[in-house]
Amino acid sequence: MSAPGKAGAAAEAVDLKAEMRRAADSLGQPAHDQRTRAVTSDLSVDEALLLHSIGWEAVDVVFGASVVSIPPGVWTWGSGEITSASDAHNLAVRSAAKHLGEQCAGVHGHGVVGVQVGVEVQRHHVDVELTGTAVRPVTGKDRNTVFVSDLSARDFTLLHNAGWGPIGLAFGASFVYAPRRSMGTTMRQSSQNVELTNFTEAMYAAREAGMEHMQRSALDMGAQGIVAVRVSEGPMWFASHAIGFTAWGTAVRLDAQSHQYLRPEVVLPLDDAVVEFEAQALR
Amino acid sequence: MSAPGPPDTDDVDRDPGHSAGPGDLPEAAGRRLGGESFSSGLTVPDFAACLHMGLRPVGLVQGFCVMQWGWYGAGSPYMRGMNPYSFGGSAPRGVYSESYRCPHGGYVYSNEHRIWGQNYQQPWVESAWAEGFGSSYTRMVEEATEVGAHGVIGVVDSTRHLADMNVTEFHMLGTAVVVEGAAAPPGTPWTTYLAGQRLAKLVESGYMPVSVVASLASVRVWAYCVTEILMEGTLSAWGGGYIPVSEVEQLSRAHLAARSLAREHVRSRLGADTLQGALIVANTQSLSQGDEVIECTLRGTRVRRFKDFDPLPAARPTVRLT
Amino acid sequence: MTQPQDLPKEAGHRLEELEHGLFTSDLSVNEFLLIKEAGFHPLGFVMGSSIYHTGIQARRWNKSQELTKLTEAMYNARELAMTRMEEEADALGADGVVGVRLDVNYYEWGRDAAEFIAVGTAVKAEDGTSHRNALGKPFTSDLSGQDFWTIMQTGYVPQGLVMGTCVFHIAHRGIGQALGTMGQNVELPNFTQALYEARELAMTRMQDEANTLGATGIVGVRLEEKSHQWGSHTIEFLSLGTAVTKSAGDVTLPKPITIISLDN
Repeated sequence: MSAPGKAGAAAEAVDLKAEMRRAADSLGQPAHDQRTRAVTSDLSVDEALLLHSIGWEAVDVVFGASVVSIPPGVWTWGSGEITSASDAHNLAVRSAAKHLGEQCAGVHGHGVVGVQVGVEVQRHHVDVELTGTAVRPVTGKDRNTVFVSDLSARDFTLLHNAGWGPIGLAFGASFVYAPRRSMGTTMRQSSQNVELTNFTEAMYAAREAGMEHMQRSALDMGAQGIVAVRVSEGPMWFASHAIGFTAWGTAVRLDAQSHQYLRPEVVLPLDDAVVEFEAQALR
Repeated sequence: MSAPGPPDTDDVDRDPGHSAGPGDLPEAAGRRLGGESFSSGLTVPDFAACLHMGLRPVGLVQGFCVMQWGWYGAGSPYMRGMNPYSFGGSAPRGVYSESYRCPHGGYVYSNEHRIWGQNYQQPWVESAWAEGFGSSYTRMVEEATEVGAHGVIGVVDSTRHLADMNVTEFHMLGTAVVVEGAAAPPGTPWTTYLAGQRLAKLVESGYMPVSVVASLASVRVWAYCVTEILMEGTLSAWGGGYIPVSEVEQLSRAHLAARSLAREHVRSRLGADTLQGALIVANTQSLSQGDEVIECTLRGTRVRRFKDFDPLPAARPTVRLT
Repeated sequence: MTQPQDLPKEAGHRLEELEHGLFTSDLSVNEFLLIKEAGFHPLGFVMGSSIYHTGIQARRWNKSQELTKLTEAMYNARELAMTRMEEEADALGADGVVGVRLDVNYYEWGRDAAEFIAVGTAVKAEDGTSHRNALGKPFTSDLSGQDFWTIMQTGYVPQGLVMGTCVFHIAHRGIGQALGTMGQNVELPNFTQALYEARELAMTRMQDEANTLGATGIVGVRLEEKSHQWGSHTIEFLSLGTAVTKSAGDVTLPKPITIISLDN
């Protein structure tokens, strides 16, 4: 905190107390803006300021939601990939992203940042919820296509400064049946340390297929890369013999001629992680 | 204790109708707020930032409202033994509602085959929530007015369902502050969820908090046959056996509607201002076979621009050395 | 060394060792450096404890009321633990205690008995000026090293960890009452009043403590609600904060620099 500021920045420092008085007095007066439509945003102050620093602003909180059915019977034993489950998944994400994009375009946004992705797979349906804030350049014209990104406004700003831009949500899902072990095999393996090769293969296949679907969706958008990929995997709670794998991230593309380097400074912070005060530890 | 109207009736922050007398507050609050010293719920960094921008804490202020709570709610048509199948699908005017018809050519409604269904907004739930939130807000603001505050910062609100009592408590808490060197408060104090450096940055960038704003939207889904079949994976004689992967239109639309309604409720109270730092929480309560109640709350601080935008010095990218 | 009033012998021995210049503390390196930055030196880890038997008080099923006996028990037990910790700090010649934590432990062997513990790090000003509070005792505070440095920068000094408590019984509702308002989401003014009253009592008591210390105000007030082992209708409302006094004129913090961290 006590590190010396740049010469210019220190000289410009505003008198915060005077600003506060001016701000408080302003509430009794008519609004400064002649804007007619209210803005809503779920960005933090920092994020809003960062967006402003690159000439962008928030427009509106936007939503996308979709519920897609999974045909009955797909979770019962079988082999290979459970395609109708991954189809349902893809349809739900695409449809929710479409709603999100429509709401964004409806308020003249250029894209949606900080999208929170909520995905829930049930036996008979997949629920997808997307929530984010539509943003646009302050002086920008409307665009035909809007981007959807789960990157925070902060990440968006940093990427923008480096010459990159998000295109859309890349998404992939894959579900496979865990192979059945015959009674004989189970008995034989019960006292041994052996690799369960068919399980390894099943998990491997699920991952590969999920990632492949995600990459395919990014390539279809014309992306050069996918950043901040998040994955979730594991057996389905309602059908433990079925293993699900989902992966999503933001597809990005270099907008500028070449990558712009940020050249960060090095700091040594003296903060600890916040210590929760606990008056009573109850057991 | 009088229950003032919900805050969405008008500009809650400026509305003199809400600045009711201190008679509403319990005796204990009067003694505490009249004391010599102040109390503040601010953390030390927030307290330091608060002094830094010329805000002097004058007291911790709070408001409560305990409401009887059942999800049916007052005024709900099915409390009078009605459901959309018997009241003919006529929802109150001006609220969201959509009907769905059976495509299978059924004529008679039965539990085995619901020939039609409906999504509709539940204004009676929304207004009860607004009353609870609004009353606790008004009481907190009353306490702040009593100590002569200009504003209330670092507001925290919570809703708690008290176990086995079927009641819900709305609680709001914040630190009342005086703007040093400013004229006496012109009206009802302003309020904000922000405190500390975040508030300082907001003011420095040209925004002044006006009030905390929140809303709840509630949408009830009565499933019709198609939704029920898709959600339950029931092989239906009507549906023709195999059911392909398909979007459950009725539910997708209901989920979207609940969220959009919450946003529009809040928007109706913003005038031309901005809602900053919105927090959105959606909950779905599944009742049976595709029947659902979807509730969405949205809260944030209403802020108003008081000067032209003047960008702060560009942030310097740093890497931490640890 | 002043002889502590009611501390166990073992504590006296441990404290004597600390007088030979060794310090112990649960402060992190960052906190240690910031406490030095604020002009203080850590002396040692201090604690106080009290095992208290909380009595039983009859409650009326349908009446909301404060359970004064339980309130007293909860208050006295914490106060005892705090006082013992202060005595340890006093024995070290400390100016104050930072990073105080209060805990309650329940043990298998003692029904209705609970151990109240207070721990913290005793500190002393390096320039020899006394920072003891209005009562001539070492100040106590739950501030972390970072918070301690920050508050000293603002020209406020901590006086003591202050608290107020109120154990309240919330009435059950009679069946008649519940039926009368069935199916309506309406306000229940009696409940609102009861909860309001309970919290205000806790906060007022805390404020009274601050006034005794001659404090200008209390920062970092928290309201905690626990049912302990009493069932859901009996709730302890505990209010805690650090009382502070203004010691100097306006000391403004250095203007923070805007940074954007590239760390995760």
